[in-house]
Order: sequence, then C-alpha cells, then structure tokens
Amino acid sequence: MKVRTLNSLVLVAFAMIGLAVASAWATTPKKSTPAPAVAAAATSSSGAAQDDTMRLEGEKRFRANCARCHAAPPKFPPRMMGTIVRHMRVRSLITDEEMRLILRYMTE
Amino acid sequence: MDNTLKFARTKATGVLLLGLLLSSAVMYCQSEAPIPVMTGSVGYFTKVTEGQVQNIPSIDSLLLVPIGDKWLIEAKSDFSHTWGNQQGGGEYGSSSSYGLAYAQVDYIANRYMTVVAGRFIQPFGIYTERLAPNWIRSLQATPLTVPITSGSALGGMLRGGFPLGTTKINFDYAVYFSANNTNHILATDRSTGGRIGFFVPALRLEVGASFEQLLQEDRSHYVGGHLVWQPYSVPLTVRAEVVRSSGFYGNGYWIEGAYRLSQVPQLRRLELVGRAQQFFAARVSPTASSDVLDSVGKDTNQADFGINYYLRSDLRIATSYGRHFSLNDNSNQWVVGLTYRFVMPLGPKGSPR
Repeated sequence: MKVRTLNSLVLVAFAMIGLAVASAWATTPKKSTPAPAVAAAATSSSGAAQDDTMRLEGEKRFRANCARCHAAPPKFPPRMMGTIVRHMRVRSLITDEEMRLILRYMTE
Repeated sequence: MDNTLKFARTKATGVLLLGLLLSSAVMYCQSEAPIPVMTGSVGYFTKVTEGQVQNIPSIDSLLLVPIGDKWLIEAKSDFSHTWGNQQGGGEYGSSSSYGLAYAQVDYIANRYMTVVAGRFIQPFGIYTERLAPNWIRSLQATPLTVPITSGSALGGMLRGGFPLGTTKINFDYAVYFSANNTNHILATDRSTGGRIGFFVPALRLEVGASFEQLLQEDRSHYVGGHLVWQPYSVPLTVRAEVVRSSGFYGNGYWIEGAYRLSQVPQLRRLELVGRAQQFFAARVSPTASSDVLDSVGKDTNQADFGINYYLRSDLRIATSYGRHFSLNDNSNQWVVGLTYRFVMPLGPKGSPR
C-alpha cells in the first residue's frame, strides 16, 4: 500500500517537472511571434513619446557619467548590463536614478 | 521497514529534489536577474627609459557576482611579467608581479548608501579608483602623486551618490576605515579617511576633495583635490589631482587633457593626450631611518604626450613620450603598446529588449 503511495508521489514529481518545463517553454519569447509589432500597435503615442524621452535622457546620463572616465563600450545583453551597471554604481558613485536610466538606454 | 519501501522512498525524494532543481534552473535561465560577469583587460607594452628596454605583457581580471537585488561580490587580480635589460644595456632578465587589487562585498542598503567590506581601493582622488586600469588610462605612465597615499584598504567603507535637492548637482561621498595587514600580497595600512565630490551635469564638471589619516608609523595625514571637466562644445576631457602630505613622501599635482578628434571623420579614432605634473619631495628629518630615506623621491617635473588609436571601442593602440626632469636624473620615457578589454558572461545572458 505504502509502495503504491510512493509510486504515485514519483508520478506527481514527474508531472511537476513536466509542468515546469512546459511552462518555461510556453513563457519563452518566440522569435517568430510578432510581439514587437503587436506591442507597438497597442502602445499609445504618448507612451512612445515617453519611451523616447527616457531613451534620450538615458543617453545623456550615459555620456555625462560613463564618458568621464572611458570610451563608450558597446551595448551588452540585459543580464550582463545589469551586473556591469551595478558595479559602476558602486565604483563611480552614479545615483540610483542614473543607474536605471543608463541601464534602460544600454539594453534597448 | 522493508527494502522495497526504503528504495521507493529514496527514489521519490530524489525525483522531487531533481524536480525542484530543474524548475529553479529553468526559472533562473528565464529571469531578468543579472548574471555573474568576468571582465578585465590584457595589454602588451614596450617601455624604453634611459636606454632600458622593458617588454611587459599583463592581464587584469575582474569577477563580478551579483546576488539578489542588493548584493555584489567583486574580486580583481592582476598579473604582469617584465622582460628587460639593465639601464644602459647589459643582460636581459625577467620578473613577474601579481596581486589582488580588491576583493569586496557590496551591499546596496538604499539609494543613498552602499556598504562595502573586504579589501578595496582607498577612495582618494580619482586616479586609483577610476582611471588606473590600462584600458581606461589615457597615458600609461602612472602620475607621480599616486604612490603618496596608501592605495589599498582592508576593512569597511560607506559610500553613495545622490542628487542634492533640485539644484541639479549630484553629491557623492565615501568614508572608510582600514586595518593594518602585513601580508606581502595584501599589505594595507591602518588608516581612515574619505572623499566627497560634486558633479554638475549641466556643465559636466566634477570637483571633489579627499582625506586620509594614517594611524600607524608617523601618523601622517594626506589631503587631496580632484577635478574632471568635459565641455559640451568640444570632445575634450580635462582631469587633475593635487595631493598634499604631512609625511615623508611629499606633495604634488598633475593635470591632463585628452582630445578625441571625433569631429574629423578621417581621424575620429585618434585621441591626443598631454599631461603636466610636478612632485615636491618632503624635507626628511636627519634622524629618519634608512628605509624611509630610500623611499623618498626628488623634486621632479614631468611632461607626457600621447596618441591613442581606437581600433574598436575595446581595442586600442597607445603610444606616449615623456620627459622627466629631476636633479641629475633627466630622462626620456617612451611607451608603445596595445590594450584589449574583455567582458564575458558566466551564465545565460538574455536577449536585448
């Protein structure tokens, strides 16, 4: 009886793994999905203008802060840039707001 | 408990753990959380000073490990090897040098403060903390004022930067305490000090002041000032530092200008650099010990000129010429070399937005 219960537990565990993998696969952004186009259509013009403003502000903060010490680096993927910007926040004492704007600019 | 039951229980536990591990790994791969990064630079330089030729390959590596939203572990090591002959010719010899520049844990407590613990670079002026890596420095020759202060610290530090009200001025600060450490790789002095700075984004002007009090040996103190200015109208960067010391080493200053020829399409990868500096040796007490006397320099003036060529943003050819003037020791210093900065992800790096 107990063996049967444990076997059921094993099945449940396998089901959990399958569910995790399936959910991961389902939530992974697909390149073929025209998500940017859909998002762009859904975005209002005021939202786009705000995005532009933030991008310009990010670029301005990047040039004012980072270029004081070194040449402009290339843009890196978001998860790398998150680490690099956190390092630069501690090293060169950029403010919290500047860190967020620069991170946004460098990952777009 | 019979063996079949025991085996089934072990199997179930194993599969459950595997499931948890796998789902955690999948979630980590999909998240937007920052990943560990290995960065640093490699360089190869040939230096000629008073007929002495030195070839110096070097590598600096910096490991950055973020943990959660608020923590960061940073560890930087450096290694270089020097092949060279004796001054004025003679046989070639070689030597290596290596060290741990810093190994620190940072905790971003809030938007105003970060707590740092471990071995870190002393917050004095701008050169050692921000401009020293060979892929960043405009001229490879280190300013004469840099060895005056302790350089590294082992202990704790509070630092941060935030805007001052609505005045559009950013304020930054760092205060630290360091313990004495006599290990030959990790040597630090018992000292305390700090730095404050103001940055005006509208003018791209930064000014600041630093202080260090040595709490051992001659208990000397050091004060310094720094300036960085990047006018909007021209691609020019002006940097300067001044250091005054009450100890055996002396006082000095340097001022440097770097002009990127970005306005000329054919020459936009070129950067012209010039630096002037003066060092005034301290008057040493006649009763000072011989090792102190040996470490004290002479009044020195130095002028350096350099040309850097950026093959890419991370790959640069650096050349410079310097003239060193001090009592009975005038000399030329030539440097030519290459620097490359690398950045490597140590995990799934995500895709651009």
